[in-house]
Amino acid sequence: MKRTLPLVLTFIVGLIMVGEFFIPHHGYREMTKELLEWGVIIAAGAFLLGVVNLIQVNWPVIRERRPEWIYKVAMMVALVGTLIAGFIGGESRLDQGQGFKWLFDYMFVPLNATMFSLLAFFIASAAFRAFRARNTEATVMLVAAALVMLAAVPVGASIPGVGEYLVAIKNWIMSVPNNAARRAIFIGAALGAIATGLRVILGLERTHLGGD
Amino acid sequence: MLKALVRFQSMDRRWVFLGMAFSIVIPMLMPWSCSFQVDRPVRALYEQVDALEAGDTVFVSADFDPASRPELEPFYRANLHHLFQKDVNVVMGTLWPTAPPLVLPIFEEIAESYGKEYGEDWAFLGYTEGRELAIKSIGASVRKSFPKDSRGNNTAELPIMAGLDGASDFDMIISVSAGFPGTQAYVLQIQGQYNLNMISACTAVSAPDYIAYFDAGQLTGLSGGMPGSAQYESLVFADGPPEGARLMATPNMNVLNLGHLYIILLIIMGNIAYFITRAAGVES
Repeated sequence: MKRTLPLVLTFIVGLIMVGEFFIPHHGYREMTKELLEWGVIIAAGAFLLGVVNLIQVNWPVIRERRPEWIYKVAMMVALVGTLIAGFIGGESRLDQGQGFKWLFDYMFVPLNATMFSLLAFFIASAAFRAFRARNTEATVMLVAAALVMLAAVPVGASIPGVGEYLVAIKNWIMSVPNNAARRAIFIGAALGAIATGLRVILGLERTHLGGD
Repeated sequence: MLKALVRFQSMDRRWVFLGMAFSIVIPMLMPWSCSFQVDRPVRALYEQVDALEAGDTVFVSADFDPASRPELEPFYRANLHHLFQKDVNVVMGTLWPTAPPLVLPIFEEIAESYGKEYGEDWAFLGYTEGRELAIKSIGASVRKSFPKDSRGNNTAELPIMAGLDGASDFDMIISVSAGFPGTQAYVLQIQGQYNLNMISACTAVSAPDYIAYFDAGQLTGLSGGMPGSAQYESLVFADGPPEGARLMATPNMNVLNLGHLYIILLIIMGNIAYFITRAAGVES
């Protein structure tokens, strides 16, 4: 029963949701709307599970003083501190002067922005070390990347006598080889997703239930 | 000479970092003007928004965080100015939990600068969890996806929502997207199903992915990264920004100029050194 009921539910809900594309009836749409609302509520509930899971995974590391336990303490303090600030602030937590807003503006924003900003430095270093014309494929990629980079910024596009050709080449690279490759990947991934979806609906794929 | 080239190829990466730091900081400290052209997808985006009429209502999905702020906030601001200048009603929601503290103050500031009434002309519905499921739900019913707005009002009772429920009831869907969930999930989940008029502003790294959607007509306009934002600013603020507003992406185009040139220079110099040392049979 523990396995059969979820499989039957998955089959019924999956079939109803697929049916939405083929049955343009108001009543049917209302039913799928309701199901989607349930889905959003369940997804929101998963947040609580996430918090519980985070504590379950990290608390033993702190208790047993395992390597790098101090970082787990920082994480737990941030988790609890932000939660408390959010609850105290209530509906006005995003107003200026509220603790939650302060934490967001003066802790999260600089940390988040710093992490992303480091990318520019690592890309420069990686491009210098790894972008070598070692063979034909690497040379094609290198030339294409350099051309697109140069044409994507104003200084490249405005080189007298060359800029307009650079932009035309960049547009061609983006619209033809890039699109062809991207579409191939998208279509391949979509076919894979359809196959997996069918396997889940038909009960052939059971890993989401846990166990085998 | 060969030794120097070998050493150059394996130089401490902190020198590379230092060069990049100069490339970013110098244009910020000593700004100079640079001209640029407007790309086809950005012009199409501008024309789509410009074709909206007073009283039309758009749904903006503001899905970005502080990390992508320099790329997307300039577009987000210019877009809100553009919409309010045309007296278009704006309903906004987000699928990113980190977005509300970032996007709401800007939304409030710009709406108030145009004297817009909350609930009548604009509304912020807050954050909803569910990722692709939430997008699917927005396609079916915005009211059910966001039962309450950020001020605790029932979404269905807001005057701006009169006669509007599913995504297809809106005149346009605007996705300001820094990744997943965002533009791609909107296109895959609901754009085709409901034949939505949808435009997107995305990070530069996502633009090569989304250009396929623009070429296919699934997106009717696309702005990629800071260059896209700067181009859009140049169209919206052709006569200069309104009082209290300022250009955000345009002055930073020189940072991109110098940063990109620096990377290209590194690649060229690295390859020259590589070919010379390889021809001489020296291992780098």
